[in-house]
Amino acid sequence: MSERVPVLRIGDVLLVSIQMDLEDQTVMDLQEDLAERIVATGARGVVIDITAVEIVDSFVGRMLATTASISRMLDAETVVVGMRPAVAITLVELGLSLGGVRTALDLEKGLAILRRRSGLPDADPA
Amino acid sequence: MSDVAPDMRWRPVAALATEQDVFLLRRGGLVAAEALGLERQDQVRLATALSELGRDRLECTAVTTAFSVRGGAAATLVVTLRWQDGPPPSPESLASAARLVPRIRHVPAGQGGSIAVEQDLPAGADPHGAWADRVRAMLGPTAGDTLSAGMRAQTHDLIAALEDVRAQREELHLLNQELEETNQGVLALYNELSQELEETNSGVVALYAELEDKTRRLQEVSEAKTRFWATVSHELRSPINSVIGLARLLLAPGSRPLDADQRQQVSLIAGSGSTLLALVDELLDVAKAESGQLRPQQAPVDLGVLLGQLQGTMRPSSPGGRVRLSVAGPAGVPEPVTDEVMLTRILRNLLSNALKFTEAGEVSLDVGTESAGGREWMLFTVRDTGVGIPHDQQERVFEEFYQVQGPHQRGRSGTGLGLPYARRLTELLGGTLALTSEPGRGTTVVVRLPVRPEPEAPAGPAPADGPVPAAEPAGAGPADGPRPLGVLLCVDDDPAFRAVVRPVLERLADRVVELDRATGIAEAVRREGADAVLLDLQMPGTDGYAAARELAGAGPEVGGVPLVVVTAAPDDAVDRDRLAHARAVLRKGGLTYERLAEVLLGGPSGAGTGPTGTGRTGTEQAGGGAGGRGGKEAQ
Repeated sequence: MSERVPVLRIGDVLLVSIQMDLEDQTVMDLQEDLAERIVATGARGVVIDITAVEIVDSFVGRMLATTASISRMLDAETVVVGMRPAVAITLVELGLSLGGVRTALDLEKGLAILRRRSGLPDADPA
Repeated sequence: MSDVAPDMRWRPVAALATEQDVFLLRRGGLVAAEALGLERQDQVRLATALSELGRDRLECTAVTTAFSVRGGAAATLVVTLRWQDGPPPSPESLASAARLVPRIRHVPAGQGGSIAVEQDLPAGADPHGAWADRVRAMLGPTAGDTLSAGMRAQTHDLIAALEDVRAQREELHLLNQELEETNQGVLALYNELSQELEETNSGVVALYAELEDKTRRLQEVSEAKTRFWATVSHELRSPINSVIGLARLLLAPGSRPLDADQRQQVSLIAGSGSTLLALVDELLDVAKAESGQLRPQQAPVDLGVLLGQLQGTMRPSSPGGRVRLSVAGPAGVPEPVTDEVMLTRILRNLLSNALKFTEAGEVSLDVGTESAGGREWMLFTVRDTGVGIPHDQQERVFEEFYQVQGPHQRGRSGTGLGLPYARRLTELLGGTLALTSEPGRGTTVVVRLPVRPEPEAPAGPAPADGPVPAAEPAGAGPADGPRPLGVLLCVDDDPAFRAVVRPVLERLADRVVELDRATGIAEAVRREGADAVLLDLQMPGTDGYAAARELAGAGPEVGGVPLVVVTAAPDDAVDRDRLAHARAVLRKGGLTYERLAEVLLGGPSGAGTGPTGTGRTGTEQAGGGAGGRGGKEAQ
């Protein structure tokens, strides 16, 4: 019924690109899908791109934090990238800091973080 | 609150029952805030606050949300959530929302209550604009941002396509797997079948080998049987010939007179001997036919003479005149080319059988012709009104030595060889023999023979060195004035034969010298001054061949003496090439004065220059015996 967010694999990194306003069920499904894919692929990192997300309320914020925790349990680091300024401000105003979730400004920087962490050589930004 | 209602300009109302409604609510807030000119940050704040509160109120019943704009110059957007029953909103939700929007007013009302979220609008905002339509569109049942819906649809399609591809790949994989399993199954089945086939094959091979072995042994047994017959009948022939000859001698007009009883007894001895000889001959013939040694000598045959002879020789066999024998003439039948001897034997056997087993009535022989398969056939039908043959034995009577058991056999001798022999001869002549019989009513045998032999078989007369058919007309020319020879040497190990032949020889020569072995025969000829030599072929020690060679090589004085070889062996058992020196080879059966005289005296001076007529190496068969052999064929 609800739509699912595609999970793409790039090397040993899973890329979740959220291209729509998140509904609750979608977020829950994503959480489940992601955990399964991490186990299935042995991915070492997850990048969640929320560039297109306009509203992150406390529920979605908590879900992101939970997803990051679950991934870490499965030996994969999560980086949330592309957060809009309005979203960031709102989250802070809501009192949510997404503790434990690494963030990066964009996808490139997010991947760089993951490479650094997994000891892989830095991709040449040029 | 009384001031709220009158200021309402527009009021889109929607129910809030599911998470989807919460989503729509915040989307509505976002749209309304944007339409009313709020800053981006305030738009997000309002939407987030509505999201927090809407989620909090989901557990309540009959929740509705309403959007309205209040006031004039300093207008305010008011979003009201109203519920009829449920717990009060959590302080955390209220606090969160309160951090995002300027004012939150919570009004409890009994079990229910309401929350009004107020956002001040910037100056210059158009409260009458199209915002309400957009919000309503957002909150309606089919609400949805068209752009978002399009994207969603695209994403959905993409996902569906991906899903489809994945499903197809999985299906392919599954199919491959299945195929592999099927392959394995097929391979296993193939292996199993191969193995089974191999086992069966080896079984078949073993069976085949066994069969071959059996065939070989069967053949050996059959050959042994034939050999046994030939040997036995051959061994029996000599003594029987002696018995017959001696009996004839006793009955001869020139011998000492016997009284009536003795004459009767000797006649019986001679008759029984003849029957025995016929049986033995028949056995030998069958054996020869079995081993394929019998070959038809095709020649034109005068059917009229043949049938007349049959009529003449067979009639006396009919008992007591109660059986009538009728032999039809050969009217309309062309002169056939076939083996006269074989044909005679076939018909004689059939007629004798018919006569033997017919107590009263008629035995008939009819001749006819028919065309079939592009060839002319002649049909000999022997019909009788005798005892008949039971249906279940009509094929068995063609087995050698088989005889139908029953009272009809009483007093009738027979070997059980007649029918199989007749059939075998018929087949040798390229024909068929068919038998139909009704027990108690009679038997009909039809012999079907080609009028002419097979084209590929040479139909010409018998080769010069082949045996002359025994049924040639009797050599009737009795020597009118035979001049007795001086000394005749008779060499035979069998004293009985010597006794039989002695009276004959004594009429030919002044003195007959008998030797029981051929050793030193040349010396004996010289010593006795023999004018002719009668030599047996089969003797212990020096046999007839060796003796003939010795004579031939003993110089003109001895080698010029006429030599006649006598034997009980069948024609084809005699190696004529080794007897080239002999003037003639005669068969012991039916050896008569006339034949001997003809051979020994007929060409007296020809001994040195070579024979005339039949030739030295020609075989003089027992033709002089007036069909003596043929006459005893009948069972």
